[in-house]
Amino acid sequence: MRLLGASFLAVGLIIVHCTTGFAQVELQQAPVSVGADVDPDPHGISATVRRELGPHTLWVADRLFRHSILFDGDTGNALGMLDTTWSLGGITPHTSHKRGEFYVLEPIYAHGNRGKRTDYVTIYDGETLEISGEIELPTLKEETGHSVALTGLLDDERFLVITNMIPAASVSVVDLEARRFVTEIETAGCTQVYPVSPRRFGMLCGDGTMIAIDLDDTGKLAAIQRTAKFFDSVNDPVSGKGARDGTRWLFATFDGHLNEVDLEPNIPVARARWSLTTDRERKADWTTGGKQHLAVHAKSRTLYALMHTGARGSHKDPGSEIWTFDLDTRERRDTFDVPSLLPAFLRPVLKLPADSIGHKILKLVLPNLGAHSIVVTADDQPLMFVRHDEIGAIGVLDAHDGTHMSDIEESGISGGLMEVP
Amino acid sequence: MSLLDKWMESSSRHMARQMGRRSFLAKLGGLMAGAAALPLLPVARGRASNARASAPPEDIDGPVGDPNACEYWRNCAIDGFLCGCCGGSYKTCPPGTEMSPASWIGTCRNPLDNKDYVIWYNDCCGSNPCGRCFCNRNEGERPMYHPYRNNDINWCAGASSQIYNCSTAMVIGLAVEGQPEK
Repeated sequence: MRLLGASFLAVGLIIVHCTTGFAQVELQQAPVSVGADVDPDPHGISATVRRELGPHTLWVADRLFRHSILFDGDTGNALGMLDTTWSLGGITPHTSHKRGEFYVLEPIYAHGNRGKRTDYVTIYDGETLEISGEIELPTLKEETGHSVALTGLLDDERFLVITNMIPAASVSVVDLEARRFVTEIETAGCTQVYPVSPRRFGMLCGDGTMIAIDLDDTGKLAAIQRTAKFFDSVNDPVSGKGARDGTRWLFATFDGHLNEVDLEPNIPVARARWSLTTDRERKADWTTGGKQHLAVHAKSRTLYALMHTGARGSHKDPGSEIWTFDLDTRERRDTFDVPSLLPAFLRPVLKLPADSIGHKILKLVLPNLGAHSIVVTADDQPLMFVRHDEIGAIGVLDAHDGTHMSDIEESGISGGLMEVP
Repeated sequence: MSLLDKWMESSSRHMARQMGRRSFLAKLGGLMAGAAALPLLPVARGRASNARASAPPEDIDGPVGDPNACEYWRNCAIDGFLCGCCGGSYKTCPPGTEMSPASWIGTCRNPLDNKDYVIWYNDCCGSNPCGRCFCNRNEGERPMYHPYRNNDINWCAGASSQIYNCSTAMVIGLAVEGQPEK
C-alpha cells in the first residue's frame, strides 16, 4: 500500500479519569493518523441471512453456549445464530418459510437463573435475526436432555404444539399467525409431538398405542383418535426419537424393530413392524440408538439408522455405523462408517493447520467415539450430518454413498440436537 | 407414613400450591387416568409385598461402592452430574440448591446382598449444571411415555426453578424383583 499523505480520522476513545477518587468514563474524539487513499470500511453494519435458505443449511443447538447456529453445510460457514436461553438439551428454532420468521421457545427468569419465570415463543425476523415479537405462554413446557419431538410446527406453519409433562401430560397450542397462545389439551399417558398435516399431530402413549390429535381452525381440540396397541411398552418399547415419512412416522424399538404408523386415516393405523437386523446381527447385539438415530430421505425412499452393538441399557449409546434401508421393500441397502469427529474438534483447539502432519496424526491416533445424531437434507443431492453430543464438530457425508466430505468445526460444545430448516 | 406416601403427599401439596384448585384437580385427574394406563410400578410391587429391609450394605470395594463413581451400584439408571462431586452427596443436594419434589426411579442390584432396590433419583435445582462427574447409565430406563422411569426429563420442572444442577440416588425401598424387562 502506498501512502500519499496523512489525514486524521476521528475514532472513539475511552478515557478513564480517577482524579476525584471515582472512575469516570467519557467518549472523546481522538486523532489517529491513517493513509488518505484507502476507503475506510463502513462502520455499524450487521449482516443478514439470505431470504431463501439453501437445501443444505443446518441448525446446530448448543446447550452450554445457549444458542443455535445456522450453518451452510456445503461450506461449513456460520450464517447466523439465535439465543435459546437455558435448556437441558439445547433448542433448535422452528422456521416459517412463508412468513420469513424463526421461532424459539424459551423460559425466561426475571433475574438470570432465578426470579419469576415467564415462557415465551420469541419471534425472529428471518433475515435480520432481530426479535420481531414475543408470545407469552403458561409455564408448562417440558425439558429433556435430548429435546427431540418436544415441539412441532404443523404443516401450514400456523400452529406450534408444545409438550408439557409436569404436573401432568398435556400439549400447549400456539397460533403463530395470530401470535397468541390458544389452549392446553390434556393428553394423559401420551407425550411428544409428531406433526403430519396442518391440523393433525400424533403422540406416543404408555399403553403401547399412538393418538392422533386434530385441531380445528382456531387451534382448539377437535378430536382425538387412537391406534390399536402396536408395541410392548415394557418388554420392547419404541423410542420416541422417530423419523417422519409423509403422513407416517417411523419408530425403532430398543431391540431394533421398526414400527411404521400411518397417521393419515381418521383412525390412525400401525402399518408394519419389521426388524432392522438379521438374526445373526441381533445375536451380535446390533441395535439402533442415540439421540436422533433415525432419518428419512423421502425422494430416494431411504431410511437411515444409526447402529451400535450393545446390550441392555445401551439405547442412548452413540452409533458406529449408519445402515440404510429401502423404505418400500424394507431391505438393507448399504452400510456407512460414522466418521471420527474428534480430530475436527481438536484441530482448532490445538491450532494445527488443516491437513498438517499434526492434524493427520490426530486422525490416525484418536479413537472414533461414534455419533448420537444424524439428519439428512431433503433435496436431490442430499447431505447427511452426524454429531456426537459431547464433541463440537459435525461430520458432513454424501447421503447417497456415505462419503465423508468435510467437517464443520467449532460447531459448539455440548448437545446432540440438529435440524434442517 | 411410608417414604412413598410422604413423597406423594409433598408432591401433591407442592403442585397444589403452584396452581389454582380447579386446575390442580383437573390435572390430578389427568395424571391418575394416565397412571391407570401404565404397568404397575416397581415401587408398587415392592410395597405390595410388604417387604422391609434395613439400609442396603455399602461397604463395597472399588468403584461399585464409590458414590462418586459412575459404576456405583445405585447409579444404574442415572443421567446427570453426581451430587457428591458438586458439594452434596448421593443423598443430599449441594448447598444453595433445592431438591425437586418429583423424580424418576430405577431398580438397581446391590452386589453385597444381591437384593434389588428401588432407587429414587432426585434432581437438585436452582443453580447452573455442576459440570463434574457426569454419568449416564440406562438400565431399565424408558421413553417419556413412561415418565417415572425416564431419566431424560428435566425433573427440576417440579421445583421452583428448572435450572438443573445434579442428581442424587436415594433408596426408596426394596424391590421384590429386578428389572422386569430386558
